[in-house]
Amino acid sequence: MKELSLNILDVAKNSVKAGAKRVIIRIVEEGGWRTLSIIDDGCGMPPEFLATVTDPFTTTRTTRPVGMGLPLLKLAAEQTGGTLTIESSVVPPTGTTVTASFRMDHLDCVPVGDYAGSIVTLIQGSPEIDFLFEYRRADGEVVLDTAQIREILGPEVPLDTPDVLVWIEGSLQFEQAEAEQI
Amino acid sequence: MTVEMLAKQLSLEPVCEAEPEREVTGGYVGDLLSWVMGRAQSGDAWITIMSNTNVVAVATLTDTALIILAEDVHPDPGVAELAEKKGINLYRSPESAFTLSAKVAALL
Repeated sequence: MKELSLNILDVAKNSVKAGAKRVIIRIVEEGGWRTLSIIDDGCGMPPEFLATVTDPFTTTRTTRPVGMGLPLLKLAAEQTGGTLTIESSVVPPTGTTVTASFRMDHLDCVPVGDYAGSIVTLIQGSPEIDFLFEYRRADGEVVLDTAQIREILGPEVPLDTPDVLVWIEGSLQFEQAEAEQI
Repeated sequence: MTVEMLAKQLSLEPVCEAEPEREVTGGYVGDLLSWVMGRAQSGDAWITIMSNTNVVAVATLTDTALIILAEDVHPDPGVAELAEKKGINLYRSPESAFTLSAKVAALL
């Protein structure tokens, strides 16, 4: 993928399909590494499926024989010298955690891209799921918890209301450093 | 032109000749697999420097006629066997992706 945001969209959709009620998407940039974690409380994967999940010929799809979401994320991480790890459990059902690390100074490290667009797309597609998004980088952090927003808005305003989505997208932006203008 | 004829014309080294009589109808060059997935066409000769198992998966999805590993790239361990299992034509060449695509274009 040309942008990490597209991988995020792809992998978080697996969490939605796994019946997750809460999905945590976290990007942390620290010490030259960018770490992406996607943590869900969905149905998890049995060990035999987990063992083959980064093999592109493993998929839960029935329409085509190949699933590229996790294989491509693994490739993107490894081509910068990073790694992909997946932890998952069905019994007890503790959900799935996907963690990918990227060396940010590697030439093949793809940019994060339009993460806000990906988050909005996920919320729009599954407004009933709680998404917690955290992005920490050198110039600050952005945090969005749709459970909190839902509580403030009340039951009569769904999260996929266009005005709400526009507000969410705006709230996901980092504040422009004014010093840059000088 | 068939895969076999193209391979001969370009002096490609076969890694897996699963279906040599397959017809080649076009060409595509690219290494960003997610990008190739959406753009390579059925029947294309796909030229790439990527050599992992995902390449076989993308060729399966897009139904390209053959994969040509350019610039003397070797397939990763297990990729030749996987290509065999999935019926994917896989070749390699010491020439650059640019030179190979120019030659493919001239032949088609």
